[in-house]
Amino acid sequence: MSAFLTYLLNGLAVGCAIALIASGLVAIHRVTGVVNFAQGTFAVVAGLCTSSLLGLGVPHGVSEAAAVLLAGVAGLLTGLAAIGRPGTTPLSSLIITLGVGVLAYAVEIVLWGDQPRSAPGLAGSVTIAGARIQTQHLLVIAVTAATFVLLALFFGRTYLGKALTACASNPYAARVVGIDTRRMGLLAFALGGLLGGLAGVLITPLRPISFDTDVTLIVNAFAAAVFGALTRPVVALGGALLLGVAETMAAGYGYGSHQLEVALGLMLVVMIVQASRRSAIHEEAV
Amino acid sequence: MKRIAAAALAVAVALGLPLVLDDSALAVYVLLGLAAIVTVGVSLLMGFAGQVSLGQGAFYGVGAYTAALLALNGFPPLLGLVAAPLMAAVFAVLIGMPLLRLRGHHLAFATLAVQLILLSLAGQLEFTGGDIGLQGIPQFGIGSWEMDSAAAYAWLTWAALGLVMLVTHHVIASRPGRALRALATSETAAASSGIPVGRYKLVVFALSAAFAGLAGGIYCFYTGYVAPGSFPVLISIQYIVMAVVGGLGTVWGALAGASAITLLVQGLDRLAALPGMPTYAPSVLSYAVYALVLIGVVLFLPQGLVPALTRRDRPGRRGRAS
Repeated sequence: MSAFLTYLLNGLAVGCAIALIASGLVAIHRVTGVVNFAQGTFAVVAGLCTSSLLGLGVPHGVSEAAAVLLAGVAGLLTGLAAIGRPGTTPLSSLIITLGVGVLAYAVEIVLWGDQPRSAPGLAGSVTIAGARIQTQHLLVIAVTAATFVLLALFFGRTYLGKALTACASNPYAARVVGIDTRRMGLLAFALGGLLGGLAGVLITPLRPISFDTDVTLIVNAFAAAVFGALTRPVVALGGALLLGVAETMAAGYGYGSHQLEVALGLMLVVMIVQASRRSAIHEEAV
Repeated sequence: MKRIAAAALAVAVALGLPLVLDDSALAVYVLLGLAAIVTVGVSLLMGFAGQVSLGQGAFYGVGAYTAALLALNGFPPLLGLVAAPLMAAVFAVLIGMPLLRLRGHHLAFATLAVQLILLSLAGQLEFTGGDIGLQGIPQFGIGSWEMDSAAAYAWLTWAALGLVMLVTHHVIASRPGRALRALATSETAAASSGIPVGRYKLVVFALSAAFAGLAGGIYCFYTGYVAPGSFPVLISIQYIVMAVVGGLGTVWGALAGASAITLLVQGLDRLAALPGMPTYAPSVLSYAVYALVLIGVVLFLPQGLVPALTRRDRPGRRGRAS
């Protein structure tokens, strides 16, 4: 029972990290219609950056914040490449973000080498109902919960957040009322970068990060995001938690070698079911 | 008439080159041909059916493993080479039936997922040799004749490329080709004009998979071993770069894109091997080139090299997303 609880909480922590990346994916897709393939890259950049800064003796907190900001800048630059030029179709933008991800490989190898790196996180562990949980796992869960609350407040209560939502629901109408949809798109990319960076900073102490970890991260995040049809962040959060728990349970009870197949298979089934409910006319009209 | 002469000249050059190239250049020549074969399929799928496959490396791998397993179990290599594209096409039909309901980025991620699943399975299953893969694959040959020179593989590869380009040319020029172009712009409009959208998409998907499978089959005989590491995700991205650079939906564009990227990467590899360069230089340079070329071409030359150079611009033919 205590093993089960440990796996459950660890799984929730993994799911939270996936949810942060997925929410960045959703934020960008809602506003711009672009699926950002470089979303996992932001997490990798932030993770590697923290490990370097901490290695240089920069205190905790400062190095994490700097890494998240750097990921935000990376997000903005990705956005400039992907949607900066007017008339770029969403599919072309997807291919550009693919290119950005590969370009990041080159930069990351030059700066950090090609070996996995880790970073010290919160040390110690607490015991809940007989289950030992690393404090870092609890931190991931707490930070994710706070982030989602802040995001909800941002999108629901602030002018800027409402402008972003307006672009998401109807770009044409948003332009008519004077919202600069391109600037909002760039803002969404920067937000996506921050969220991805936050995830990277949080998971680097849990599992070592190397330059090509981004494929696993983006595929998991995309799997979570398709639960919410790439537009509903809360459903994506649910999907991410489900994925995280399922993968950790599979690994914990000895099916670890198949956890990737489980996640990917689930994603394919969800997408196919969703596609059969949607008509081509609706999709092409959007 | 001029175009036939140009094509004849290209064939003559392609067949003549193996006679003058040295061994290391021949290796590049064979790999270039193989990449071009896959890229023709990717270009057909992206340019005509308007679908992005991030998992083309999976079909390449299916072809390679099929040919390798048959050859290792004592079947004649020719059977392996014929079975490789067929198996890849059958696999494409099986996964395409559910997956091709998806479009745009959904399909891109779905095909990527299929490749990741296959790679993971190939690394774990016993009959595929796990992570070590399959080794000691016999040389390609027919009957008692065995193909043992690199030049022979170059001819085989480029003959296969010729066949693939010829097939693609006829598909494009035919009535189904026009139908494909129509469904790339709008599936709804195509369907209401009586085009069997689902069936055509499946056929193109299978055809592009068959091309990749054929290249995979030749690859396994040429290198003599296959392993999951031979088919990384990056190889699928590389085919997309080549197709986009050359110009989507053009037969010659695929060849031009594959040549441009292969030669560029080879040139940089030479540069990276110079003394004084860090050990990570080759991979860094090739990643950077793939990325910058891909981004640059999508942004500033969306029609690709071949249409831009030949000035046969067809306006408004940029990939329509879902």
